[in-house]
This record gives sequence, C-alpha cells and structure tokens, in this order.
Amino acid sequence: MAGKGLSRVLPYRTAVSTSAGLASAAINFLACVEVAEYAGGQSAWLALLVAGGLIVFAGANFSELTTLYPSAAAIRVWIRRGVGDGVSLFSSLIYATTVVFVIAADAFVVGHMFRATIPEVPGLVWVVALLAVVAWANSRGIKVAGAVQDTNAFVLLVTLIAFSLLVLVKAPPTVPALFRLGPGWIQAVAVGVFIFVGFEWVTPLAEEFSDARAIPRGMFTALGLIAMAFGLFSAALSTVFPNPHALSSSLIPQLMVGMRALGPLGFWWMALVTLTTAMTTFNGGLATASRFVYALARERVLPEWFARLNAKLVPINAVWFLSGISLVLAVGVYITGGYLTLINAGAGVESLMYALSSILVINLRKREPDRERGFRVWGVPWVPAVLALIFTALGIGALLTPVGRSPVPWSLGFVGGLAVLAGWYVAKVVPRLKKRAPVSRSRQPGSQI
Amino acid sequence: MTLAEALNGFVAECNQDPRLREMNRDWSRQIAIVATGHHGRRAVWLKSQEGILTSGEGPLASPDMEITAPEEMLIDIFSGLLSPTEPYNAGDLLVRGQQDDMMRLDILTLLIWGG
Repeated sequence: MAGKGLSRVLPYRTAVSTSAGLASAAINFLACVEVAEYAGGQSAWLALLVAGGLIVFAGANFSELTTLYPSAAAIRVWIRRGVGDGVSLFSSLIYATTVVFVIAADAFVVGHMFRATIPEVPGLVWVVALLAVVAWANSRGIKVAGAVQDTNAFVLLVTLIAFSLLVLVKAPPTVPALFRLGPGWIQAVAVGVFIFVGFEWVTPLAEEFSDARAIPRGMFTALGLIAMAFGLFSAALSTVFPNPHALSSSLIPQLMVGMRALGPLGFWWMALVTLTTAMTTFNGGLATASRFVYALARERVLPEWFARLNAKLVPINAVWFLSGISLVLAVGVYITGGYLTLINAGAGVESLMYALSSILVINLRKREPDRERGFRVWGVPWVPAVLALIFTALGIGALLTPVGRSPVPWSLGFVGGLAVLAGWYVAKVVPRLKKRAPVSRSRQPGSQI
Repeated sequence: MTLAEALNGFVAECNQDPRLREMNRDWSRQIAIVATGHHGRRAVWLKSQEGILTSGEGPLASPDMEITAPEEMLIDIFSGLLSPTEPYNAGDLLVRGQQDDMMRLDILTLLIWGG
C-alpha cells in the first residue's frame, strides 16, 4: 500500500553502536572487578564468556519479540500482549528504574574519575554538574548525534581491546590460572550479566530501521564485541592484579589499566573514554526514559503532570523528575559508597527481565502463532523455558549477593521495596488515574503544554 | 464517519490554529497511513509542508513515516475520540519512522483534542 521504503532510516551500524554503547556504561569497569573477585581471579574472562553465552539466548528472545512487534514501547507492548496489562505496567515501571540505577551509578564513577584527574574539585560537585548539564541538554531537545554515538561506542571497544592486549602481552597470564575457578564463580556469572545489561535497549529503535531484522543482527554483533572487550579487560585486570580484592577499593580501575598500558597518555585516554561513555549513557538513558514516562502519562497510568511539554516539545517534567531521582541516588551512593548495591540490583532486575522475555516468547507463540516474525527463537518451548529458569536463578542470586562485609542483601531489599511500591501503584493508583475525566477538547497550545 | 472525513477534520483543526501552524512551520513530512479491516488494506496520507497539513487517498512512494492500524481505530484517533498512545502501547497501532515524528503527531492530537 504505502511505499516499500521510508525516506529516512537508521543504518545497521547504529543498531550495533547503540546496543554496544548503552551496555558499555562506565560502571562496567567496576563490575569487571567484582566479577574477578567472585571468580577468584583470572578466570573472570570465562565467567563473562558464560554470561555472554546466556545473554545470546536472551538476545534471541528480544530478537523475536522486536520483529514481532517493532515498537518504541517495546516491553510495554510485548508483556501486555504476552501476559497482561497489569504485569506489563508493573514490569515496565521496575525495568525503567534500572535506567535510573545505571545513570546514578555512572555519575558516581565519573565523579570519582574527575576527583582522580582534578583533585582540587570535590567529586560530588562533578556529579551534580554533569547531571545538570545532561538534564539541561535533554530539556533543550539536544541529543547526542548518531555519528557521535557510533564513533564513541566503537572507539571505546577498540580502545579497551587494544589496552587489554597491551597489558596481557606485557604480563602474559599462565594457562592454568585462566581456568582456575573460585568459590563464588556462579555469582561471578550472575554479576557478569550486568556487563551486558542494556544491550536490548536498542529495541525501542526498531521502527526507525528499514528492516526490523537489523536489530537482531546489531544486538548479536554488539554482544560479541562487548564480550571480547570486557572479557579481555577482565583478563588484563586480574593478570596485573592477581588478587582482585586489592582493586575493590579502587573506583577507577580503568584509569589504572590505562596508566599501566600507556602511562599518562593511557590514563587520560581512558579518562576521556569514561567521560564520553558516561555522557552517552546519561543522555541516551534520560531521553529514552523520559519519553517512556511521557507515554505512560499520556496513557493515564502516570499523573498528567508527567506529560507536560516545554516549547521544544520535550517532556520537561519527566526529564527533571528522572534527573532529580538520579541525582538523589547518585549522591546517596557517593556518600555511602554502596555502588555494588546498584550493580547487583541492576543485574538482578535485568536477569529477571530476561527470564520474563522467555515466557513472552512461549506465550506469544501460542497466542499469536500466525503473526509474522523476522526472527524465531530456537527450540520453543524447551530452550526458552530452561533459559527462564537459569535467569530466574541468576537474578535471585544477584539480588541475594551480600555487599562488602555486611551479610544483609541490600540489593534484594532495594528491589523488593521498589516492587512493593510499583505493585501498590498499579493496584491502587492507576485505576483512579484511568477514571479521571478527559481534559477539555478546547485546550490551546502554549509555551508550556 | 469515514477515515477520509476524520483526516479532513484533523487537517482543518490543525490549519485553522495559528500556533499549530507556527509549530509545524519547519516540520515537512509525508505520512502514509494504512487502514486495515475486513475490506483489506486501504491507504491514505497526510502531508505537512510549511505549517500547512493536507490529506488524501492512495499510497505514497517514499513516506517519512508509516502508520498501520484498524480503520475504526484510526477514525477514532483522528476525530479525537481516542488518544493514539493507548493503542500504540497495546501494539494495535504500529508505526515505522522516526520517534520524533511520532511524538509530533501525538502532540498534535493532544493539542487539538486534549488529553
């Protein structure tokens, strides 16, 4: 009916760079240290490889779902059709908050990076300044250009691979050490999932490609690149520092690797890469999350206040609200140093979401068997069913992982509290919002809408 | 009401509002709309050029955006009886194109018809 091709579409490389770029947050460097600690040293790369292998299956689920319903609303649509509206809303709210976790944790890492490079200015000042700049840029409708995002993601991955290889060539690891598994190896795999978290956040762009199958191809390529880059980085880290616990007190392990590989040049290069990576995560995360909040407000499941637009047609209240929440979390993490709680919470929520993606694939195969799919998961229902069990176990494992010396699983408490709040909101508040009277048809546009 | 009538009404509402015309002044787009139903698939279109919207029937060779939904739903959306976000988040309204354009259309319906 309509013409076959759209006049303006995104290139395949943007599917790769977006997937890899959103997964490659600055906090990943700290997660690599945590993986190495649990894995017992140099087998960290193997834990990441296993986590990556599992993630490929999760990627297959997202590939089928995104080619079935290519939509910017992504999980909101898939869960609604595959399970139901209430579960969809509950899960979407929890899932969207992981974006805030990542922004807050990245702000924390970047704050410490600045403190290491410019010690005269307190790190907290940098955290506030960076989040303010990103919120302002978002409020003005300024986005990181696709070309910048593409370049940044590829430069980061190539840099990581090059640095890690340099370190490994200078201090080659012994083969037995590379395969020696520590007692917390399963937890290492669970936390290793966090390294890949966000690879699927490219799916909301499905509508912008000429062929939705560019998303599966882009995600799988990105997963390979992420596994290679961060796997090598983990190997390099644990080779240079055989006892990774020595690094656990460092909040800038990537700068230390840079310094070790190339001296001051490497230090500053990694500092720049960390900054641009974090800014891309902030900007992309905030833009995506604020549009999602806007859409929920338009659907009347969030207060109308969140649908308010400024003169640039940006959902301004959503942008400032999310920035504020990120800032509060980032300051809290900065003061308490509890960034591992956020990492484990993020890994737990994402693992459970990957388990849910398996259930969605199985259910939608039953409910909508004839609908066109550009990608089909292998071995339905058995393979996704097993995957659902594995990711559920990994998710619970990540949430139960104690942080530091405290035996209390703070991540579980944090996510549990969030789940109770989201459940209460969906059950009690949403029905009232849905019932509210429609806004007058005579509303006029203004500078604030 | 037919889809063509609903689209004409939507276009008229946009064009008679000077602030919407100003808002759309730099927004030049061709939007293909595919209505599905028991009759098969029917193509209509919407164009924005220098702040003025026009609509018509038939396919477009190279649209900037394509919207696909059941015809009754499209009629409800373009006549202000239904917010496009609800069916979009339910997967009943499918879009191909840039998200900014999709949001612009949603904002137009918000400004004309309210929440």
